[in-house]
Amino acid sequence: MTWNPDSDVVEVARGPEPGGLGGAYRVFGETLRGLKTSFMRVVEGTHTVEYPEEKIPVYPRWRGRHKLHKFEDTGLEKCVGCSLCAAACPADCIRVVAAENTDENRVSGGERYAAVYEINMSRCIFCGYCEIACPFDAITMGSDFELADYNRSDLIFTKEMLLAEPMVRTPLRAEGE
Amino acid sequence: MPRPEIDQITFTVDGREVEAPAGTMLADAAKLGDVDIPVFCYEPKLGAPVGACRMCLVEIEGIPKLQTACSTPVRDGMVVDTQNPRVKAAQESVVEFLLLNHPLDCPVCDKGGECPLQDISFGWGRGESRFVEPKRHFQKPVELSPLIAIDRERCILCYRCVRFSQEVSEDYQLVLHERGADTFVGTFDGHPYVAPFSGNIMELCPVGALTSQAYRFRARPWDIEQSGSVCTLCPGQCNVSYTVRDDRVVRVLNRQNDDVDDGWLCDRGRFAYQSTYVDERVQGPMVRENGRLVPSSWDRALSTAVDIIDAADGRVGALAGGGSSNEDGWLLRRLMTEVVGSRDFDSRPAGVLSAGLQAALDAPEAQATVADLEWAHAVLVLDTEPVDDMPVLDLRLRKGVRRNGVRLAVATSRPSALDPNAELSVRFAPGAGEAFVCALDAAVGGVGDVAGLAAAAGADREAVEALGRMLREAGEDVVVVWGERLTHAADPEVGANAARALLKASGRLGLLDGRRGAGLLQVPTGMNARGLRELGVLPNVGPGYSEPAQVGRSSREIAVAAAAGEVRALHLLHVDPVASYPDRALWEAGLAAATGVVAHASFLTEGVLEHADVVFPSEAGAEKEGTVTHPDGRLQRLRPAVGKPEGTLPTWQVLSHLITALGGRATALTSMMITSEIAEAVPFYAGITHDEIGGFGIRWQEREASDAFPAGDSGPFSLVAPVAAASPNGALRLGSFRSVWSSPEVAHAPALKFLAPKQRAELNPDDAADRGIRHGQRVTVTADGTSVSATAHLRTASPRGSVFLETGLGDQSASALQSTEATVPSMVTVESA
Ligand code: SF4
Ligand code: SF4
Ligand code: SF4
Ligand code: SF4
Ligand code: FES
Repeated sequence: MTWNPDSDVVEVARGPEPGGLGGAYRVFGETLRGLKTSFMRVVEGTHTVEYPEEKIPVYPRWRGRHKLHKFEDTGLEKCVGCSLCAAACPADCIRVVAAENTDENRVSGGERYAAVYEINMSRCIFCGYCEIACPFDAITMGSDFELADYNRSDLIFTKEMLLAEPMVRTPLRAEGE
Repeated sequence: MPRPEIDQITFTVDGREVEAPAGTMLADAAKLGDVDIPVFCYEPKLGAPVGACRMCLVEIEGIPKLQTACSTPVRDGMVVDTQNPRVKAAQESVVEFLLLNHPLDCPVCDKGGECPLQDISFGWGRGESRFVEPKRHFQKPVELSPLIAIDRERCILCYRCVRFSQEVSEDYQLVLHERGADTFVGTFDGHPYVAPFSGNIMELCPVGALTSQAYRFRARPWDIEQSGSVCTLCPGQCNVSYTVRDDRVVRVLNRQNDDVDDGWLCDRGRFAYQSTYVDERVQGPMVRENGRLVPSSWDRALSTAVDIIDAADGRVGALAGGGSSNEDGWLLRRLMTEVVGSRDFDSRPAGVLSAGLQAALDAPEAQATVADLEWAHAVLVLDTEPVDDMPVLDLRLRKGVRRNGVRLAVATSRPSALDPNAELSVRFAPGAGEAFVCALDAAVGGVGDVAGLAAAAGADREAVEALGRMLREAGEDVVVVWGERLTHAADPEVGANAARALLKASGRLGLLDGRRGAGLLQVPTGMNARGLRELGVLPNVGPGYSEPAQVGRSSREIAVAAAAGEVRALHLLHVDPVASYPDRALWEAGLAAATGVVAHASFLTEGVLEHADVVFPSEAGAEKEGTVTHPDGRLQRLRPAVGKPEGTLPTWQVLSHLITALGGRATALTSMMITSEIAEAVPFYAGITHDEIGGFGIRWQEREASDAFPAGDSGPFSLVAPVAAASPNGALRLGSFRSVWSSPEVAHAPALKFLAPKQRAELNPDDAADRGIRHGQRVTVTADGTSVSATAHLRTASPRGSVFLETGLGDQSASALQSTEATVPSMVTVESA
């Protein structure tokens, strides 16, 4: 529609007037068309994933709950408590307090180890910067994303929790899946 | 040597015209034009540059080879390039060379995050190494001393630590062993590097080779906050920066203030913060119940204290320890004068000086500053041992002598650590300070009976005359650094005579007429002695050195009066007279006889433990808020770096509470309001605020209000014949000293405990031989039936006829042997145990 400066009346195109037989036919017809789509989907089968009974596998690069690692051969912790992850963390949710390894109490490979290692999962934004920052691949992002809890303080994960093998709750997508 | 005049010159760096003082090294001058030249070995605090690391290479027009910016002074019209490809290539290769043997174990390195090597490699390095051969290896980490760990693999051989040890603290312990790539830093024979200033090398090290054992793995730079304050452990009042993690102090760093500390700290100031977190610290109020101190509620402790003071009916004596801030001292003074109505309070451990003499000694015209020590023609260190009494001053004196040719003279009873640097060292008999200053005055003036006075002082006449000559002829800038104990004689007349003699001698040298760069600098016995004095926390001096309407008892008289029952209650503000004042026996008796003792203390030292009826916790240095006054008149501000233990009241609040509870005028609600009260009460502090004091303090002498300083006694001073030192006559004169390591903070800091002193008797080998005593043997030192056992320590430098014992060691202290009525020091016998 173009505007004609000579005329101050603007014509608006309208649909047909509702009501009457024509109207009833249009409503009914559209409904039927909708139902046709619905019934056609019924024969296709269900698409809903019945979470939490059923879970979608996550991709390998998914960034979920962190894991701390140990060396497989020696059983020593890989983390040396350098705090680089804490420096990299944009949410400031990692707290590392380091201590010195002694011959009697050797925890990690280097001179120091993390005496306290805590991640506050309620603040973590799962950006994965900690994983990138770690010079020893001591921390990686796992696949678990089910971290809800009733209590905020329970969301502060300690070193023991992070070192423990997490319960396999989230299926991982296989190669090429 | 007087301060040189420095001209401004103009030079060009990277195309920018920059103005800089002539003679500045390029590395510093470039900063004025916002050009950063990387350096490793260059540190102006260490004196002349050595050009050891080659990191600072720059191109200077007209000079074919690249030059080290750290050791090339700027000249007018110099054109410098720090950016061109040639310089860039040189920088990259220097970084690459430095990293050849560097382990780069940053994740486990304590320097990580605050490491110049990391920063410079990142900023000026090429980012990758072409070196594939194995690196050199050392055992790591090794203990260089119980305080310092050394990791030799990380060392880049910048020489900073070695230069500090050789040229700044002059303890000559650190050296470089071997040559070439095998070079390593260490001490001869691997002895631990234990020295009063050893901790500074950790701050100097530009890599993680020297790290603190106490701070080892405690935190990363992003875990911590720095909080500036002032060290309260000695009159040096060094500016410090507390490193705080999780509301706990974990480290102390220097906060360079050239007018105070020159950027150094002693190890006591650096590590004693640990005593804040020990179980022995008084954590909350305590009251005595069935003879034992037990923790109590604040209400109960406060009401007990109120009852004690109330019951004494005005007969209360109060002592303010040298560690009290101006605010604490002021409130104690108000409590005593306004509420209790007693004038019996003192902040000096002994001695009394009239307001007039005190004002004459502290007059702005007679005041030398710490920085003056560097540029004076001559400095006399009189009756004080800087390294023990005010450690950081020791470094300043050494600097003056080494770098500016200051002529140093030392006049003490005990051999001084500065003797090797001094042109002249004169010894006098312990306790004969008064006679010595009289002799000095005669020698300086070339009048009077120098021989007789020197003999009275137990000093060598020729040495005294040579000293007089030296001071007279050195030039007009003479600074006398004198120990407050010169005026501490038990007989006030003796102390006053010493003060008059000092003033008279200074007058002859022209130190009292306001010449900048010359004057007197006192080394007080208490950290804030000057501040407390200026507030009038003295029995015979009012605020601002005014003459008070009424004169009270001095600390010694308080002890006597308490023992006699005339003073009934005692209020001890941050001081335990039994442990730290002379006349231990007298104070024992005084405290035992008092009906009530109120104490503010951090640790339950012996006198507090046995006699206090109420103990309020004192704040640790890092928890304290308020102001203090440096011996040269600089007001400095204490800022709390960490919170106090849960529920604890600061001392000033306890004192204000006592004032109101006893019916006094309601007082300040914040510590800052007390500072304003002080600024009103002391005329020459007028108008001073925390803001004006700022981070680096301000000397009141430099403010306008200093005109309000009262006129003190002015000469001519007439001297009386001094008390002559007793001749040993078979026995030995007892001298005492307090070592830098003698303080409850050192004794309780886990890292420093190993340094806590044990009693030793310093003797001349000949005296020892006469008594059949060998070095290291146990001996007993006896006076009037009391004895102290000690280890014999033979020093050739120790004068004959005297023996020196430490104070501050409980009943094994020198103060245990000082008899109560003595005006001359005790004579003792020493025999093998
Ligand atoms: S994933 Fe990101 S936000 Fe979470 S801990 Fe790691 S760095 Fe911090
Ligand atoms: S997880 Fe990695 S980055 Fe974090 S402290 Fe441990 S070693 Fe350092
Ligand atoms: S000294 Fe610096 S560069 Fe060397 S390991 Fe330590 S932090 Fe890394
Ligand atoms: S010299 Fe004195 S003020 Fe300075 S750090 Fe040592 S104890 Fe503290
Ligand atoms: S900083 Fe110039 S040579 Fe080291």
